[in-house]
Amino acid sequence: MTGPVSPQGLRVTGLAVRLGGRTILRDVEFTVGHRSTLAVIGASGSGKTSLLRVLAGLGDAAAGCIEVDRRRVDRLPAHRRGIVYLNQEPLLFPHLDVRANLAFGLRLRSRDAARVAAMVDPLIEALGLQGLERRDPLTLSGGERQRVAFGRALAVEPAVLLLDEPFASLDPATRLAMQALFRQVARSRGITAIFVTHDLKECLRVGDQFAAIRDGGCRLYEDRPAFCADPANGVAAEVAFWSAAADASGPD
Amino acid sequence: MRRAAGIALWAAFLAPVALLLGWSFAWRWPWPAPLPERWQASAWTGLAATGGLGAAALRSLGIAGAVALVATSLGFVTSRSAVEARSGVALRWLLHLPFALSPVVLGVGLEYSFLRAGLAGHMVGVALAQGILAYAYAVILFCGLWNARTRAYLDGAATLGATPRQAWIRVLLPIARPLVVLCLVQTFLISWFDYALVLLIGEGRVATLTTSLYQFLLAGDLRLAAASGLILLLPPVIALAVRAQRRPPTFAGEWDL
Repeated sequence: MTGPVSPQGLRVTGLAVRLGGRTILRDVEFTVGHRSTLAVIGASGSGKTSLLRVLAGLGDAAAGCIEVDRRRVDRLPAHRRGIVYLNQEPLLFPHLDVRANLAFGLRLRSRDAARVAAMVDPLIEALGLQGLERRDPLTLSGGERQRVAFGRALAVEPAVLLLDEPFASLDPATRLAMQALFRQVARSRGITAIFVTHDLKECLRVGDQFAAIRDGGCRLYEDRPAFCADPANGVAAEVAFWSAAADASGPD
Repeated sequence: MRRAAGIALWAAFLAPVALLLGWSFAWRWPWPAPLPERWQASAWTGLAATGGLGAAALRSLGIAGAVALVATSLGFVTSRSAVEARSGVALRWLLHLPFALSPVVLGVGLEYSFLRAGLAGHMVGVALAQGILAYAYAVILFCGLWNARTRAYLDGAATLGATPRQAWIRVLLPIARPLVVLCLVQTFLISWFDYALVLLIGEGRVATLTTSLYQFLLAGDLRLAAASGLILLLPPVIALAVRAQRRPPTFAGEWDL
């Protein structure tokens, strides 16, 4: 079955997601432009992770169509979709060192060590992982682990990268640094991504496009001002809080 | 206090082995002498001269090796179904049943049908009967592997491009290796130390190291029984020694055994 011609990037139409026999998301429609990041905000339990899992092929869609670069993928198994899912917890393979973790996806496709090295070495540099190549993943800090997981995902040059609150467990400073690193790498490498978070500031920092998941639906905003103008997203409340915090009386 | 408890533990574990060692080299060891009156190796030379014992040891090794390999492989492959099956709770209850039954009861229960099937009195029959226990143990052990973390690893590998087969070989097997080794050792020992099933299903025609040891005991030859008992202890001692040599597992997962 051939759907309508869609632009490069990720296009989702009429998607419904079921979990535990209940439809938690319905009529989900959005397009993530080629080389841009859709930041999706939503409260805990709103269905963000379920949506990403369905997009990645780790769960079945109850209805709808998923296209990646004009190719319908929703009937393909996860390993053939070209969509990489980055978990909240950086699940590095414990039996592999950092370098082997980075090369994992490449090694599935190629036995050519020189070719694999040519892909992995620039990533090590871009992500600041020099000196950690032979380290056991368990000896890394949370930020280092997340950088390796990020690098492992980038190494396979995914058509779409799905990030499920990847920095949620990091301390504020590391989190900020990782957000900046993500922006820089996503731009320099032209990544098409969906970045799911429940943190408003993170959403605004990493996104080019914006969406919110609530009440069983996913609303895509025209642009950043439209996203900020929707009171349901809490931007105005956040601004009001910080304005009040700066006053002598402090916030309520 | 802790030191005393430690010494007591060591003594409790090592005393039976020390007694076996003493008896296997004793000429006479009258009570309450702390050591034998005279030492000699006649029990060991006697064992070497007992032609049947070598064959019994080889038979034990063959049966236990086969039981361990088959039970571990089948248990590993089928445990996921036991976890994910709709009737999972009932299935897991069923799998615990062989443990609730003693091998003697299991043997009595199986004897008639094995006899009708022509399996009684054969090594294959003994291995099959022990395999029921060993397989149940393997599945129960591997059920712990199928937790959210393992699934997340496999999901992660799949989205990185790994086919289900590649994910098994490159991710699941390496991270499950400590469990697989543990299962191999434990299922081997279930078979290696078994006496009741060998006796009941083997009908006295399948001689293993445990039945030989019991024969020596029945004949009142404590020295031969002690020497064959020490041979029986060799595999677990070797397994423990190998395990002690290994770097402790560093993976902070559920398989840090």
